[in-house]
Amino acid sequence: MSVTILKSGLKRNIFLGVAFMVLILAAAGNASAKLTATANHDHIKIDFFYHGSSVSVRGISDPGIDLVMKITSPEGHQELRKKGKLAGFLWMNVGKLTFENAPKFYAIHSTKKLEDILSREEMETYGLGYPALEKHVEISPVGSEDEKADWFNQFVKFKEASKLYSVSSGKINMTEQGGKQNYYVLLEWPYQALPDNYTITVYAVKDKKVVETAETHVLVEQVGMVKSLAGMAKNNGAFYGIISILAALGAGFGVGMVFRKGGGAH
Amino acid sequence: MYLYLPVALTSINVLIPVGLGLVVGLLSGLFGVGGGFLMTPLLIMLGIPSTVAAATDSNQIVAASTSGTYAHWRVGNVDFKMGFYLLVGGFTGGLFGVQAIKVLNAMGNADFVIKMTYVFMLGIVGIYMFIESLGSMKKKQQEMVAPAKESHMARFLKSLPFQTHFEKSGVSHSTLVPIFFGGLVGILAAIMGVGGGFLMVPVMVYILRMPMHVVVGTSLFQILFNCIEVTFLQSYTNHSVDFILAVLLLLGSTLGAQVGAVFGRKLKGEQLKIILAVIVLVVTVKIVFDLTLSPSLLLAQGGGH
Repeated sequence: MSVTILKSGLKRNIFLGVAFMVLILAAAGNASAKLTATANHDHIKIDFFYHGSSVSVRGISDPGIDLVMKITSPEGHQELRKKGKLAGFLWMNVGKLTFENAPKFYAIHSTKKLEDILSREEMETYGLGYPALEKHVEISPVGSEDEKADWFNQFVKFKEASKLYSVSSGKINMTEQGGKQNYYVLLEWPYQALPDNYTITVYAVKDKKVVETAETHVLVEQVGMVKSLAGMAKNNGAFYGIISILAALGAGFGVGMVFRKGGGAH
Repeated sequence: MYLYLPVALTSINVLIPVGLGLVVGLLSGLFGVGGGFLMTPLLIMLGIPSTVAAATDSNQIVAASTSGTYAHWRVGNVDFKMGFYLLVGGFTGGLFGVQAIKVLNAMGNADFVIKMTYVFMLGIVGIYMFIESLGSMKKKQQEMVAPAKESHMARFLKSLPFQTHFEKSGVSHSTLVPIFFGGLVGILAAIMGVGGGFLMVPVMVYILRMPMHVVVGTSLFQILFNCIEVTFLQSYTNHSVDFILAVLLLLGSTLGAQVGAVFGRKLKGEQLKIILAVIVLVVTVKIVFDLTLSPSLLLAQGGGH
């Protein structure tokens, strides 16, 4: 257990190191081109009427360059129940699977299909696309690589069903203006995305390589009554339970009384 | 209009839970069941996490069964004495049931045992009630007076100590009988993770020989107390009750329970029994389909037992 933690920690450090070096190189070698990314809506507040939101990201890049945008929540540990066949025909929960280094939310938007504009190594270095994510995520317990691949596909299917994972291309609008390229993308922010600090990273891609990156953040959090109710449920369960029960008893009696009056007049 | 649910962490169209509550409350007022076997899977289908669905449903049943018990009590159809003994048994049984789940989990095939118990219990209860009520409806039509046959079971029950008369139900039993059967239902309900109304109703009708209309009121009375206990434990230990969802559901279900109680008075006991039997059988068939058809997703949110 501690070995895997150490290993994934090490991996992350190497990954960060590489990313940092690339950033320095990009900044030093290409000072004229400055990739930018800004979100119009970097603080999404969840109140009672929240039903998802939309976030537009815009910025500037060098002309003639392809762009990839990745939106993720911090990586972590997720535990899911798996279904399997018992006695040959009965579908039931047959155990649990844990997914390490998997973000709860993962969305990719690119100007063209990822495989057409990036080499496999680059996709893996930057964690772009499902195959790259599959390499990065650890699933246990699985017996073989094939089994891991199967469960990873199921994982993506499960996440896509609740709009938490997506990979799409062609949604980024680009216009050239005065030797620069303006890009703009409108993201539908699903209500299923949990409160968290999301990172939006934009990658400038040229000759199958990432040449520049820019980053912005979107904070999603509960506010007002939603926040206080969720907080009370979590931190003050006994009180919350008693209030819930009293409210239900009151409602039941209240409606009963109303009906008695109605019945009496009948 | 959409509302965000702070514990379920999802957004929902308010008309859906209110409508669902109305339908399930109607069943509750008519038949004296909590309706969890219908409500919980429907909530999960709407994207509510399974633990939140079950816990919130019990919160909602507190309201629906209060409303229903009140409606039935007004026309004298709640046997509080019988309800009390059933509750004593049910609470004790629930404690044993929770231990049984721990043992099953340790053995590793909890889900199999739980699902199979559920299917068999629903199936047996549904078929028995259907055949029995069909039979007694036919007898009534032929104007035949059924001879009061003393079964072995009835004779055994009469021989037990602590015999007492239950006025509202018009029956005499040993106090041990409702405690024992209340306990049995409590164990099964805890293992299956449901309220057990659909088991309690047949026990009261066929074993305790109570009149159907008193059964419905008394069943609601004891479901009320069970669900208060479950709601508290779920909020305290699992933090899984969504208050907003519960309020939306109970807006419908408290109303539905009243309508159901009024409706129920217009129906005969046999008619109520046969409709309940059909509902139980439909649910059984649905679960069998769920078990045998390939699911579209092979992964689900963790949690629960």
